[in-house]
Amino acid sequence: MSEEKVGRRGYVKTAAAGIIGLGVGAGIGWAAKPVPPKVAKPAEGMYFRLCTQGEAGDVFFSVVERGMKDACEELGCGADFDLSGGDISPQVKALEAAIAMKADGIAVVITDDHAFDKPIEDGIKAGVNIIAFDTDDSEGAEGNARLAWVGQDFRAAGRMVGRRVADLALERGWDLSRAHLVMPVEVPGIPYGELRALGIRDVFEKYGTTSEILDCGGADLTVIESRESSYLLAHPETKIMIGLGSVVTGRIMDSMKAAGVSPEDLITSGFDVTPSSLEAIKAGYLQTLVDAQQYLEGYYAISVLYLMKKYNFRTNVDTGAFLIDKSNIGMFEEGMEKGVR
Amino acid sequence: MHNRRTLPFFSYRVSTILLVFIAFILFFSIFSPEQRFLSSRNLAILAKLSPDLGIVTLAVGMLMICGEFDLSIGSIISYTAYTFVFLVQMGVNLFIIPFIVLCVGVLLGLLNGLITVKGKIPSFITTLGTMMLWRGILLGQSGGYPQPLRRYLPAESSSFVDAFSGTIGPVPVQIVWFTIFGLILLMLLHLHKFGNWVFATGNNKEGARAMGINTDMTKIICFAIVGLLSAFVATSQTVRIGESYPLQGQFYELKAIAASVVGGTSLFGGIGSMPGIILGALIIQILENGLVLMGVPAIGVQAFIGAVTISFVILNLYAERRRIKIA
Repeated sequence: MSEEKVGRRGYVKTAAAGIIGLGVGAGIGWAAKPVPPKVAKPAEGMYFRLCTQGEAGDVFFSVVERGMKDACEELGCGADFDLSGGDISPQVKALEAAIAMKADGIAVVITDDHAFDKPIEDGIKAGVNIIAFDTDDSEGAEGNARLAWVGQDFRAAGRMVGRRVADLALERGWDLSRAHLVMPVEVPGIPYGELRALGIRDVFEKYGTTSEILDCGGADLTVIESRESSYLLAHPETKIMIGLGSVVTGRIMDSMKAAGVSPEDLITSGFDVTPSSLEAIKAGYLQTLVDAQQYLEGYYAISVLYLMKKYNFRTNVDTGAFLIDKSNIGMFEEGMEKGVR
Repeated sequence: MHNRRTLPFFSYRVSTILLVFIAFILFFSIFSPEQRFLSSRNLAILAKLSPDLGIVTLAVGMLMICGEFDLSIGSIISYTAYTFVFLVQMGVNLFIIPFIVLCVGVLLGLLNGLITVKGKIPSFITTLGTMMLWRGILLGQSGGYPQPLRRYLPAESSSFVDAFSGTIGPVPVQIVWFTIFGLILLMLLHLHKFGNWVFATGNNKEGARAMGINTDMTKIICFAIVGLLSAFVATSQTVRIGESYPLQGQFYELKAIAASVVGGTSLFGGIGSMPGIILGALIIQILENGLVLMGVPAIGVQAFIGAVTISFVILNLYAERRRIKIA
C-alpha cells in the first residue's frame, strides 16, 4: 500500500472518530441535563395533629382529612388525624398525647365548652400552638385559650339555609305562622346540630313557626328513614324539613316517598353533601343543600398552624358555606368524585 | 332438654310474647292519632323497613340459642355492602354479584366461627375483634366515603332492583324475604335434627358432645348463617338506598340481641324459639314506629325501648321459673 493511501485512510479514520466522538459527547450533554438543586418544601420536618370527635367512617371527616393531607403534600409536613368516635374523654386524651409529643401545632374540635379549657391552656403554656377547628368554644376566644379558629360558623350557616327556605315558602304563599318545621339529627345534643338548629330558629322564630328536633337514633340509614317517615305521617302539619347532618339529609327523599309527601307540600333542605342528597336535589325532593366546605377546614388548619409556627401569625379563617341547588349541582358532583366535597 | 317441636307454638314463653305483641298492635291502633298506625302507608313503611333488622335477628337469635354472640354484624353489613357496590362499579354481571357477596358474608361468618371454636376464644372477644377489623379494612379501601350505586346500574337492571326493593302488589318485597327466611330457619331449628344440635349445644355443650353431636361444627354453621343473612341485608339495603355507607349497619348487633331477648331467647344459650325471635324483632320495630306516631318526643323512644327490653328479660325469667314450678 502506498504511503499516500495509508495517510488518507488514517485521516478518514481520525475524522470519523472525531465526528462520532462529537456526536456521543453532544448526546451525553443533551441527556445529562443539569439536575436542579432539591428545594425543600416550606414545612418539611414539621408535624401537626388534628384531634376530632369524628367517628371512623364518618364521611364529613373523611373530606376534612383529605384537605389535611393535600395541605401536607404541598407544604411537605407530616400530620395525623385522630377520631374519638364521638366521645369527649378519648378526644381529650388524644389532645394531651399530642401535647406531650410536642407537635408543632395542634388543631382540635372543641366539642365541649369546659372539657378542653385546661388541656389547651396547659398545652399553650408548654409552648405548643393549639387552634380550634370545625367547632369552636361557644364563647370563642373569651371562653378558651386557643390561639385561632378555622371553620364554618354553624349558626350562620343555619341562618343562611333558614333564610333561603323561608324565602321559598313565602314565594309559595305559605303562612309561616301556621307552619311546622322539623329538624332531624343523627344524635341529639351534638354541637353541629345544636348550632345549626339555633341559626335556623333565629330565622323562623320571627314568623311564629313551631319547630322540633327529631332524634333519628344514630347513623343507621334504615332507622333514620323509619323515624323520618313515621314523623311525617304523624305530623301532617309539617311544612318544612331541614336535616341537620349529612346522613339524615340523605334519607329525606326516601322518607318523603314512604310517607306519601310530595315536594309541593314540603320544603326540604339540609347540610353536608352525600350522593343521596345530590340525587334528591336532582329529583326535586330537596330544594337546597349547604355544603360545609369541610375540605377547607382540614386544609386551612394545617396552613394556619404552619404559618403560626414559622412566623407567629394568628388569624381566624371562616371556611364559609355554599348553597347547592339544581343550578350548580354539576360542580359538586365533580368535587365528590375527587373527594373534596 | 325441652321438647322443641311443641314448645315453639304453644309454649308459655312464646304465648306470653304473642299476647304482648297483640297488645302493642291494639294499643297503637286505637290510640295513635287518626288511627294512623293501621293506615296502609304506615303498614307499608313497617313492611319495607322492619325486615332489615328482622332478617339479621333471625340468625342472631339462632346463634344465641347455640350459646354464642356475634358483635361483628354491623361490620359485616357495611363491608359486604361496599363489596356489592364495588363489584357493580367494576361491571361484573349484576345477577352474579349477590352470590359473590353472600359468599363473602359466609366466609366472614365462618372465620368468626373457626376462630371462636378452634381457638377456644369467647365469641364476644372474637367478634369484637373482627368488628373492628372489617370496619377498619373497609375504611382503608373506601377512604370513608359513601359509594354511589344507582348511576352504575345498567339500564336493564329494573328486575334486579325490584327483586330487592320492589313490591308484589301492595306488599313490599322486603317482608316477603323476611317471611321466607323466617320459615326456612323455623324449619331448620324446629323440624330438622340440626335444630336439635343447636339446642343441645347451647344447653349443655359437654352433654351434647357426649351424645355424639359435633358441637364445633354446629357453632360454625350458626356463625356462617349470621354472615350469610347479614350479607343479604347489606345487598337489599344498598339496592334500596342507592349507596353503600361506611357506618351502615351500625349497632345492628346490639339491637338484634335485644330483639332476640325480647323474643324469649336466653342470653345463656339453650332456650329460645324462632316464632319468639320473629315476634321479638317485630315488637322492637312496632314500638319505635308506634311511639313516633303517637307523638312521643323521639328523644324518649330510645329510653322506652331500653326499658321494654329489660322488662321482657324480667318477664321471660319469671315465665321460665313458673314453667319449671308447674312442670
